[in-house]
Amino acid sequence: MSSWNIWSIPVGIISLFIISPVLAIFYSALLGDTTLWPHLFATVLPRYLLNTLLLMLGVGSLSLLFGISTAWLVSRYQFPGRSIFEWALLLPAAVPAYIIAYTYTDLLEYAGPIQGYLRDVFNWKNSKDYWFPNIRSMEGAILVMSSVLYPYVYLLTRASFITLPISYFQTSAIYGHKPFFAVALPLARPAIIAGLALVLMETISDFGTVDYFAIETLTLGVFNVWLGMNSLSGAAQISSILFFIVVILLALELIARRNQRFYEKHSRQETLELEKISNFQKTLFFIICIIPLILGFIIPVSVLLNFVLKGYAVVNIGEVVDTAITSISISFIASTTIMFLSFLMVVVATYKSNTFQKSLIFLASCGYAFPGTILAVGVVVFVGWLNNIFYFHMSYFIGGFIVLIFAYTLRFLAIGNGSIRSGVTRINPNLIEASRTMGRSFFTTMKKVILPLTYTYVLVGGILVFVDILKELPITLLLRPFNFETLATYVYQYASDEMLEESSFAALIIIVAGLGPVIFLSKTIKKYSGK
Amino acid sequence: MKNFIIKLISSLVILLSVVDIAYANDEVNVYSYRQPILINPFFDEFTKKTGIKVNVLHAKKGLLERVMSEGNNTPADLILTVDIARLNQFVENDLLASVDSKVLQENIPSHLRDSKSRWFALSKRARILAVSKERVPLGSINNIEDLANEKWKGKICTRIGSHDYNRSLLASIIAANGEEVAENWAKALVQNLARKPEGNDRNQAKAVHEGICDIAVMNTYYFGKMKFNEKNPEQKEWASSLRLIFTNQSNRGNHVNIAGGGIIKYSKNKDNAQALLEFLTTPDAQKLYSSMNYEYPVNPKVRPSKELDSWGIFIEDQLPVERIAELAPTAQKIIDRVGW
Repeated sequence: MSSWNIWSIPVGIISLFIISPVLAIFYSALLGDTTLWPHLFATVLPRYLLNTLLLMLGVGSLSLLFGISTAWLVSRYQFPGRSIFEWALLLPAAVPAYIIAYTYTDLLEYAGPIQGYLRDVFNWKNSKDYWFPNIRSMEGAILVMSSVLYPYVYLLTRASFITLPISYFQTSAIYGHKPFFAVALPLARPAIIAGLALVLMETISDFGTVDYFAIETLTLGVFNVWLGMNSLSGAAQISSILFFIVVILLALELIARRNQRFYEKHSRQETLELEKISNFQKTLFFIICIIPLILGFIIPVSVLLNFVLKGYAVVNIGEVVDTAITSISISFIASTTIMFLSFLMVVVATYKSNTFQKSLIFLASCGYAFPGTILAVGVVVFVGWLNNIFYFHMSYFIGGFIVLIFAYTLRFLAIGNGSIRSGVTRINPNLIEASRTMGRSFFTTMKKVILPLTYTYVLVGGILVFVDILKELPITLLLRPFNFETLATYVYQYASDEMLEESSFAALIIIVAGLGPVIFLSKTIKKYSGK
Repeated sequence: MKNFIIKLISSLVILLSVVDIAYANDEVNVYSYRQPILINPFFDEFTKKTGIKVNVLHAKKGLLERVMSEGNNTPADLILTVDIARLNQFVENDLLASVDSKVLQENIPSHLRDSKSRWFALSKRARILAVSKERVPLGSINNIEDLANEKWKGKICTRIGSHDYNRSLLASIIAANGEEVAENWAKALVQNLARKPEGNDRNQAKAVHEGICDIAVMNTYYFGKMKFNEKNPEQKEWASSLRLIFTNQSNRGNHVNIAGGGIIKYSKNKDNAQALLEFLTTPDAQKLYSSMNYEYPVNPKVRPSKELDSWGIFIEDQLPVERIAELAPTAQKIIDRVGW
C-alpha cells in the first residue's frame, strides 16, 4: 500500500483545512507578548492547573464508575427494569451541563426545597445552625458534570460488551477467571478509553459549569486573560496548554492501544445470554443503575418541569417550535457531515496512510479540547483571512451557515472519530486483505466490508454528535448569521440573565429533542447485536 | 446511501432558500452583547417609527474578534455593549466611526460619550451595596472603602472578582485612591468574605436574605428585577429584607458603568445605524430602559422611572468611563494577586 494515494492526499488536505483554525489560535499564541506569564505563574496559574487536573480526575473517575458498571449490568444480568435502563441510561446525554448546574443549585441551595425541608423538620433557624454541602464546589462540579457525561462511556462500552463473543467467556470460565475482569474489561478497553477521552475533553473545555460554580480552572483563566486583560494572545497561550494536555492524553491512549489488538472473527457470533440472579442482586443492580439516571436526568428534568408547571416559564409555542426546527435541521446536517468525514478519515488513516498523514488526521480531531468560544474565535480569524484572499460572493446567511457547520466539524470530529475508531480497530485486517485480493477497489471494500462492520459505531457517533450540537452554545452564539436562534441560544439569553425559570420550557424542549435520537440509537444497537 | 445524499442536499437547499434574508437598504445590522429579549422591544419600536428593519446577532464574547477579522466585509453596522471596557476595545482597535450628530450630543452628557464621538452611553447602572435591614445599622457603611473594615469579617458576599462588574468597580477605586490602596482594599475585602465568591449578583442578595452574609455587592437593576418580580414573588421577599446603600455620597459618588454603542467603521448603512443610535437616546427609548430593565437613563431630560425612584436618587462618580476601561487590566492583575 503506497501511502501517497488518491485517498490519503485528499483526506490529508481536508484534515489540514479542518485544523486551520487551531493553527490560527497557535499563531496568535506565538505572536503575542509573553509579559503576562511571570504574573500568571506567580498568581493564578498553579491554582488553575491544579483545579483543572482535579476536575478531570474527579469527573473521569466518576464517569468511568457510572458508565462501566451500568453498561456491564445491563448487558449481562436479568433484573427488573433492565430493558428500560438500557436506553434510559443514555438520557442524561440530552441534558446540557450548564442547565444541570443551574437546576442543582436551585435544588440544593439554602432557599431550595431540600434545605427548606430540613430546616422545617429540625427547626433550624438559619445557615449558621447546621452544615450542608455546598453544590457550588469542586465536589459539586464533579458530581453534576459526571452525571451528564458518563453516557459517553456507557454507550461506547456497552456497544463493545454486547458484541463480545461468547467463546471468550467460556474460555475464561474454564480457567476460573472472573469474566468481567478477565474478558470484558480488557476487551472493551479501546471503547472505554475512547469514551473517557471524550468525557475529559468535554470537562477541560467546559465554561458554563465552572463559571457558574466559580471553580477556577484553566478555561476560566483563558477568559480572564482574554477579556479582563485584553490579551487574546495570552488566552491563546493558555488554551494551547489545554490543547497539549489533551494531545498527550490521546497519544497515550493510542500507544496503549497499539500494544493490544483484538479482532472479531466474524461480524456476528453468539454473544452472552443474560444471567439469572438472586433477588438481593436484582435489588442491588437496580439501585446501581438508577443512581446515575436520577442524578443526570430525573432531578434536572423535575426541576425544569416544576418551573413550567408553576408558570414561571415563558411559553411561546410558535417561537419555540421554529427554534426547535432550526436546531434539529442544523444538528442533523452537521452530524451527518461529521460522521461522513469521520468515517472517511479514520478508515483512510487506518488503511491508507503513513505516520505523517495519520498524525494530521489525529490532530484534526483535537478541536474538542478548546473552549468553544476560543475555537470559534479561531474559526472567525481563519475564515476572515480566507475571505480576504478569495472574496466569496455569498449571502451572509449562507456564508454564516456554512461557517457554522465547519466549526461544528472542527469541534465534534473527535466524537465521530473516537466512535468509529473503536469500531474499526475491531475489524480483522484479513477481511480487508481478502476483499482487496478479490480485486475489489478500496471504495467497494469500504462500502461492502468496513461500513457494515462499523455500522453501530457510525450510528453511536452520529447520535452523540447530533445531541451535542443540539446543546452546543458558544460556537453557535458567535458564528451564527443574523436573527438565527437555536434552542441553546434561546435558552441562553434567559439563563445568562439569571432567569433560568423563564427559559425552563425551551430547556425542556432541548432535552425532548435529544431523547428521540437517543432512544432510537439504543434500539438500533440492540437490534444489531441480536439481543 | 446515494438516495440519502440526494435527500440531504435537497433538504439543505430548501432550508437555505427559505430562510435566506435579503440585506436591503432599509435594514440595519446590529452586533449586540446584550441579549435579544432585552433589546428587541427597542428595535420593534424603531422599526414601527422608521420602517427600518433591525437584524441582530447576540453573543457575549468574541464579537470584537469577529468584526476585526471580517474587516471590510463585515455586515455589522452598529455594535451595542454592556460594559465600557468592551466598548473601549472597539475604539482601541480602531473599529468605530466618528459620528457627527447633534441629537446624540444633546441627549448624552459629555462624560458619558467619547471625546471623539466614536462611542455613546445609552444607559447607566450603579454598583451598590445591598445590606440586611436587620443586621447592618443605618449609617455604619458610607463608602465602598468601608468594606475593608475588619468589623465586616465574614459578613460580605460578592460574585467572583474577575467578573466585568467587579473588575470595573476595582478600576474605579484604583482611579480614586491609587493602585496600592486599591490592592490593600481588595486584599482586606477578600478576608472579609463570608464565603468563596460564587454565583451571580442576585445570588449575593439572596445570601443576605438567607443570613449567610450581611452585605452584598450588586448592580442596581438586579434589585429592580427582584423587587418587582411578579412571576416569582419569592424574590420580592428577598428584596424587602434589603436596604440599598449608594456609596461615597459625601465624596466622589457611587461607581457607575454604562451600556452603550458605536457605529462600525466599515458599516454600509451608516445613516440607518445613526438613526437607530439616536433613537435609543430619545426620551421614549430612554424611558423604556428604566421601566423595562431598571437601568438609569443617560438623557438628563428623562427622569428615572418611578420604580428606580423608589430607591432614591444618588450622586454618581463623575470619573470619565474611559478611565475605567484603561485600568481594567491593572484591576485584573490585582484580582489575580489577592485571589478574589
